Amino acid sequence: MTDAPWLVPQAAYVHIPFCAHRCGYCDFAIVVGKDHLMVRYLDALEAELETLIQPRPVQTLFIGGGTPSHLPEAQLERLLRVLKRWFPLESDAEYSIEANPESLTADKIVLLAQHGVNRVSLGAQSFDPRSLAVLQRSHDPTTIATAVKCLSGSISQISIDLIFGVPGQTVAHWTDDLDRALNLGISHISTYGLTYEKGTSLWKQRRSGRLIPLTEDDELTLYQTAIERLTKASFTHYEISNFALEGRQSRHNQIYWANYAYYGIGLGAARYVGGVREVNTRDFDAYLAGRRSWQSEKLSPLDRARETMAVQLRRAEGIHRVFYRRQTGHDLDAVAPRLAALVDQGVLIDTSERVFLSANGKYVADAVIEKLL
Amino acid sequence: MTRRTAFAMTDPKLIRNFSIVAHIDHGKSTLADQFLLKTGAISERDFRAQTLDSMDLERERGITIRMHPVTIYYTYKGQKYELNLVDTPGHVDFSYEVSRSLAACEGAVLLVDSTQGVQAQTVANAYLAIENDLTIVPVLNKVDMTISRPDEVAGEMKSVLGIEPHEILKASGKTGAGVDELIQAVIDRIPPPPGDPNSPLKALIYNSHFDTYKGVVVYVRLMEGSIRKGQRIRLMRGGTEHEVLEVGQFRPAPTVCDELGTGQVGYFTAQIKNIADANIGDTVTDAHHPAAEPLAGYKVPKPMVFSGLYPTNNNDFEALREALGKLKLNDSSFVYQPEVSEGLGFGFRCGFLGMLHREVIQQRLERDSDLDLVQTAPNVTYEILNRKGETIAIDNPQKVPDAGQIEEFREPIVRVNFLVPSENIGDLMTMCHDRRGVFVRTEYLSQTRAILVFELPLAEIIYDLYDKLKSVTHGYGTMDYEVLGYRAADLVRLDVLVHHKRVDALSTIIHRSTAERRGRAMLKKLREEIDRHLFEIALQAAIGSRVVARENIAAMKKNVTAKCYGGDITRKRKLWAKQAAGKKRMKMVGQVELPQEAFLAVLETE
Ligand SMILES: Nc1nc2c(ncn2[C@@H]2O[C@H](COP(=O)(O)OP(=O)(O)O)[C@@H](O)[C@H]2O)c(=O)[nH]1
Ligand code: SF4
Repeated sequence: MTDAPWLVPQAAYVHIPFCAHRCGYCDFAIVVGKDHLMVRYLDALEAELETLIQPRPVQTLFIGGGTPSHLPEAQLERLLRVLKRWFPLESDAEYSIEANPESLTADKIVLLAQHGVNRVSLGAQSFDPRSLAVLQRSHDPTTIATAVKCLSGSISQISIDLIFGVPGQTVAHWTDDLDRALNLGISHISTYGLTYEKGTSLWKQRRSGRLIPLTEDDELTLYQTAIERLTKASFTHYEISNFALEGRQSRHNQIYWANYAYYGIGLGAARYVGGVREVNTRDFDAYLAGRRSWQSEKLSPLDRARETMAVQLRRAEGIHRVFYRRQTGHDLDAVAPRLAALVDQGVLIDTSERVFLSANGKYVADAVIEKLL
Repeated sequence: MTRRTAFAMTDPKLIRNFSIVAHIDHGKSTLADQFLLKTGAISERDFRAQTLDSMDLERERGITIRMHPVTIYYTYKGQKYELNLVDTPGHVDFSYEVSRSLAACEGAVLLVDSTQGVQAQTVANAYLAIENDLTIVPVLNKVDMTISRPDEVAGEMKSVLGIEPHEILKASGKTGAGVDELIQAVIDRIPPPPGDPNSPLKALIYNSHFDTYKGVVVYVRLMEGSIRKGQRIRLMRGGTEHEVLEVGQFRPAPTVCDELGTGQVGYFTAQIKNIADANIGDTVTDAHHPAAEPLAGYKVPKPMVFSGLYPTNNNDFEALREALGKLKLNDSSFVYQPEVSEGLGFGFRCGFLGMLHREVIQQRLERDSDLDLVQTAPNVTYEILNRKGETIAIDNPQKVPDAGQIEEFREPIVRVNFLVPSENIGDLMTMCHDRRGVFVRTEYLSQTRAILVFELPLAEIIYDLYDKLKSVTHGYGTMDYEVLGYRAADLVRLDVLVHHKRVDALSTIIHRSTAERRGRAMLKKLREEIDRHLFEIALQAAIGSRVVARENIAAMKKNVTAKCYGGDITRKRKLWAKQAAGKKRMKMVGQVELPQEAFLAVLETE
């Protein structure tokens, strides 16, 4: 039992914080205009990796950011080499990296393929220049198709991220975004609803009234449009914001949604090892200086069970009662006494083997989870 | 801290018992402190500290709720006088307590702020003093201020209260100017207490408080005879007997003495465990040589405003009972009894003297216990004459019988005195007519200010009349009221159904003519207060089975963060935890979550 995947990680996340500029909605742990510190960052990253003491074989490895593809070739190569040492891949592993269409060169793609990267997640966000302008994204939408074409020779799985709910966005714009994504012939699409995170440029614009968010009704229509459009194209809606062709689900994300353990390395990275949740500092200078100061939290078994319920419900498959019991040591029905009432209200479906969100339940998933907690 | 001194009883001729009555903020507390200072009861340092530091609930709200009598000594024309200053509360809700204090006195200092002029409570308190046959010593306060206008205010006192200008003294509680003259006027004008020292003991209980060690501390005014330690006494109405363990006076600290004689004011303890055994207004007499007749006593004040108090968590019921019990120890005018609501579970119906009293109790509860409470909207006590000819008191809308059994439905009526700038009379008239008020009279104090008298249903004033008055008069209007009695009216119980389930705590008694308007206003408020749910919620207001208003709360449409929060689940969980904590204050009615605010929707009128 000590090797249970919810205690011992079989996944790792590595954070590369550099971006060419900051998008209007972004509140991730990133830095802009610090490219001259890339080498020092990789030094600090290596120093953090040393704390693993020994190589940790993983089934999924995910390099996220920031914009990892923004690293110049030399740095990218160094990163890939170092990671190979600390996180050797099990056979059949999933190795993903996030990339921006404009920073991805043919040479970088070759480098990625050589090091076993088999999945690239492209931050496209939209094909509509107007939406991109609102989001303060710099790329030219035509570069997305070019990037996909370059990738498809050597990388087997390509995913793109799209954002819906952008002020001014209509169903027609969004349908067009979805269709263009589908036309790329890729196997995975993530659709994220725009959120206004405190402190971001969009949040400030909304607060001052310069930007008017879409109504709840409009957001819902866009979300429904995505579900309809993508499932019609044979994509499975396997998690609230993720769609994939059969067998092409992101295994790394599924580890998060199962509430399994994972390593997290780099600025602001979160990790979940041995039942303890920790988050690295978001202070770039502190990180460079080796002061990672984990913010740590050990949950009680019951709180862990609640959290597991909450995250697993986001999956289309929902919660398997038997697995749940094995993973958390608690009975689902004891943790969530209001479950039956929510089934009555039509937002949950209970097959006795599994409990999962109904089609309507997906639209109000947060409220359902809140009621269960 | 109890001090002990031996001293002889004072000759009644050298005693003066008096109160200070005033409108709130006219400077009563400050002046009382000056009295203590001038007579050496407190030092200059204490005077500052006392005036500056007492930031307790009562000071904060600018009201004195509990009465602390003080005994002070003053030498005048070669004689040492004992002056007992009996404090009075300064708010309408507590006017009965004012009468209580006044019954222990022969005179009253009527204090009027010379910058503000006569106000509603000035008038009300002056009348109380006159009714109690007290000698009034009128004084204009705050004469140190440049905006003081003593002549004008003296004119108001003449026209409303018939006080002759030459009787009026001038003082400043702040500088102390005129305070000696005021004390001397108290001695000169107020008669010494009557009563025969050789008669059997007769003492009036005018207040009490509970002390954990000594039991009930009984505040008394000796009318006849004397009381001493070791004496066996009887409470004439209560019928219980006790042995006196301690006798003393407040100077201002409790100071033990051997005995209290005729005319004196002080306290005694006798290991009385239950505050209800020492009823305010009861007469204390000697068990072996009892007096023939008890003193007149007072009318026991009846709570006029009721509301339900429920713990959000049903397991806290016992804890709430305990907390209420503690409050009751020191506040006999507060009443409560257990009740059950279908919607809210087990709780208590609590009775208060008025809205301020209710607020004070609620704040004390919140301060002294950390219970999460749901309080239902306040209602007044109604009366129903049923077909069998019985009169029943209705302190809870739940108790209203079927319409068929009601012969007459009656509501309490109060006479309200408003004191307002003349230019606001029109607005005030409209406001009172909207609330079913009956105009009684107008009386001009001066060219710019008038007294307006209305009879209004108590139910129409308890909630927001005071605030409305302040806004209509830009803060210059004041009011005071007294209960007149019950009158029949076309009253009905309006029920609220949330998702087809009647929520008993939302029922309210209203005048039939206002049913639709009130129903709509309540539902509108409920719609604002109740969060959207996963299903559509139907809201209805009904009289019996007749629906008079309806509203719907649409189902929640979208509430999902389709955000990539990747590995950072901690942040999301904290959000959930925060929302779950908010839930704790919610009451479940069927599948619907009602926040505390929803229960106050009953009060919405427009
Ligand atoms: N200038 C001036 N201010 C006073 C005087 N007496 C009281 N005050 C102020 O008036 C306010 C109300 O006084 P307080 O004694 O608390 O009034 P109470 O509500 O009648 O007890 C306080 O801010 C006092 O400092 C006075 O004689 N002169
Ligand atoms: S590219 Fe991604 S990480 Fe960088 S600023 Fe934009 S949204 Fe943030």
